Amino acid sequence: MFSIFKWTFWITVWVLIAGFFHYTLPQRDIVRIVNTYEERQDLEGWTRIFWSDAADQVSSPVNRDVQFIQAVRPDGAAMVYRNEDTGWGWPPYFKLDTANLYTEANDAKSTKAAPEWYLIKHYGWRNVYWSIFPNAVSIKPIEGPNVSKGLPWLNIFIITIFLTVVYGIWIRWRRFRIARIDPTFEALEDDIAERSAGVSRWLGTWRKK
Amino acid sequence: MFAFARLLFVGFIVLTVIYVCLSFYSRAVRRGKLRAQWHEGPQDTDKETFVDEGLADYDSSLKRKLILGVYVVPLVTMGIIVYLTNHS
Repeated sequence: MFSIFKWTFWITVWVLIAGFFHYTLPQRDIVRIVNTYEERQDLEGWTRIFWSDAADQVSSPVNRDVQFIQAVRPDGAAMVYRNEDTGWGWPPYFKLDTANLYTEANDAKSTKAAPEWYLIKHYGWRNVYWSIFPNAVSIKPIEGPNVSKGLPWLNIFIITIFLTVVYGIWIRWRRFRIARIDPTFEALEDDIAERSAGVSRWLGTWRKK
Repeated sequence: MFAFARLLFVGFIVLTVIYVCLSFYSRAVRRGKLRAQWHEGPQDTDKETFVDEGLADYDSSLKRKLILGVYVVPLVTMGIIVYLTNHS
């Protein structure tokens, strides 16, 4: 019974960590940019966390205009990115050139007949039910839709460092537990076992022989 | 500018905590090494003077100053990210 709780707990923790990294670390998509638009967005409710914190705004507005970049993947699937400053907040992309990126995206539009392909770096998730969009960070022209996206070196580096730190903490905690906590609990258990044996002996004296 | 100031302020506090901890830790490690060295060595001076002299040398060493990297590395990383995101 206890092990079910234990497993549920640790699986939840690791799923949350994996989700955090999947959301925050950069990803690359190969797309054809179709159009851009601006739309007023209500920034309320729990999905507020999926929009940027408006940079340097003293009051947090309830709604504001957000820029979007509409794109199509090589397989024809639609993809929409938002284009927002991350400013000096989280995640630490320090993106301050939203207006420039919007201009580049507008310059990069192409039609289905004469497609121009772009590698778009972004972070975040697209979810149609929650109406959330990944944030585009940069775009770069590429030869065609079949060009390799390259190995995500930065992501490998960050995740390796993170796992190393977790392993370091875990191994130290384990040593500490074996050296200090386990003996204490064992002594406690022995003590309890002795006492309960004493109690049952005493109860035994009341039983009919 | 407010967000930038806040980032610098919070970053400075966090890094200072790390810097102080690391300084004390590094000094303690050095002290332990000096003691071990004294026990192995010729023992011309008494242990206290030997360790104190060794620590004085350590205080003016380059190794001691490398701990300042706690401030330098994140700042440089931040500068590089700002450049790469906004200018390339």
